[in-house]
Amino acid sequence: MKNAVSGIGLAPDAAMVTFPVNMFLPGSDINPVRERIREIYNGLTLWKSEFAQASGAAKMITVEAPTYEQALDKANNLYLTSLWGDGLPLRPATKERVDWVLQGSTLPRTHVLGKFPPRGGITTVETCAIALAMAGGRPEYLPVLLAAVEACLAAEGFDQLQATSGGPFPAVIVNGPIAKQIRLNSGFGLLGPDPQRPAGASIGRALRLIQQNVGGALPGVGTMAIFGAMRYTNAVFAEDEDNLPPGWQPHATQRHGYAPGTNSVSVVFASGVSNVRRRGAKKETPEEDALNGMWRMADFMRTPNLAVLHGWEKGTPGIMMIAPIVAKQMAKIGWTQQSIREFLWENSKIPMAQLRRAGAPAWFEIDTNPKVRESIALDPWPICMKPDNIVLVVAGGGHPTHSYWLQAHSSPTVPGRVIRVPETFERLLADADRDLGCGDDVCRI
Amino acid sequence: MVKLEFHDPSGALEITQPHAARLASLKGKRIGFVSNEQWQAYRMLPMVKEMLEADFPDITVLPIDAYPQGNALIGEEDTARQVQMSGVDAVIVGNAA
Repeated sequence: MKNAVSGIGLAPDAAMVTFPVNMFLPGSDINPVRERIREIYNGLTLWKSEFAQASGAAKMITVEAPTYEQALDKANNLYLTSLWGDGLPLRPATKERVDWVLQGSTLPRTHVLGKFPPRGGITTVETCAIALAMAGGRPEYLPVLLAAVEACLAAEGFDQLQATSGGPFPAVIVNGPIAKQIRLNSGFGLLGPDPQRPAGASIGRALRLIQQNVGGALPGVGTMAIFGAMRYTNAVFAEDEDNLPPGWQPHATQRHGYAPGTNSVSVVFASGVSNVRRRGAKKETPEEDALNGMWRMADFMRTPNLAVLHGWEKGTPGIMMIAPIVAKQMAKIGWTQQSIREFLWENSKIPMAQLRRAGAPAWFEIDTNPKVRESIALDPWPICMKPDNIVLVVAGGGHPTHSYWLQAHSSPTVPGRVIRVPETFERLLADADRDLGCGDDVCRI
Repeated sequence: MVKLEFHDPSGALEITQPHAARLASLKGKRIGFVSNEQWQAYRMLPMVKEMLEADFPDITVLPIDAYPQGNALIGEEDTARQVQMSGVDAVIVGNAA
């Protein structure tokens, strides 16, 4: 609640009467309201905000210790006690490190990207550079982080996505040559960890730190994410554009209309992942192998994911990742991106009787979107309004056995943003080659 | 001694509007409810209404459904306009969880 009020420009506190959560459950004893009614009256009459003014500009903090190791420990302890850490070691965002990271920006450090909800912390280019410095990032990662932050801030209902009990996390799909240039993984283990392609971990961790420290998404207080969804690094990965089958388009072209070769991000708010074993085990023909796999993917998608209703019309039910080798094999026998989406959409529909049995119509009825409310008449019910809503991405290692389904959570839209790189970007990439070894096709194994 | 100086990562806050002024007393006042209809609000808020009316006989407490209800509607500008037009001295908002 404090986040919610500060997010709309009020002082970050409010006249509240709080009760243990079990009082908010069906059939609970609500007599504590009676016992504490005086507090409600006082909230209307006597309460005073403890915050007279804004917190002002971000300040510098100093720690001192006899050795560097001890100073680093002190800094990390301070990050945790100030509720700015994520439990893993952080790099102190010193002036020198933040200035270095800022070389990756085309914008001035004071440029305001927006207020990060729900807390409403002012998010500048410098704020992002500070988070990226803490997360172990490098300057060439900053353009992707800035675009991802812009996309998040543009997402419809982002304040609720930050705070909701469902625990959504941004899944950032990167298209364009920048992915390979900055060592962002699109292949084996693309969701990490990967010492040869560390960009996704740092960028995603920085985004999470911004969500927590600037946006106020602290567990159990600012984000009511019941389980948390392993959100240390969110999910930041690239589509494997080099291995798209002939005639297939990059995700960003299909979804956002960006020309192929444009550096861009596209953000889906996911709540979890399911591994789909799609490959056959015996003597299937290519046609049987493809079709069996498609049915298994559709079966995973056919779930009453009521959290996704807000995205039913314009958002997405999730990201289906298929490995490049599978995409190529399927394309060879006539499957297209469109026919895959249409198959998955048609065959993931849920019989209305199942939805009624699960009490789902109540959630349809309270949705603000009339199209969602009217969709209750559809039987079987499609998990999104049209096949194009399904995000289909070609990524993953060169292996045919599995697909990966990142189920969305209330993504009313799938925001995209073009990534801007500074004129000095080539030099930053050369510095990365110097620091991290061989270039974009890195592999020492 | 080794000194490490680093940035506060939390970002500045900007207060653009004050909280509503508090009432000197609830006597003779007009009170409304803005309900999200969740988390047992449909049971708790009527209880609060009943107690207000019992404790302050000259108070006017509007019905729980005087304004649009539900998470999707209570933050809308139209709801704020309806609250303003109803001439209440204060509103109680519930329930959050």
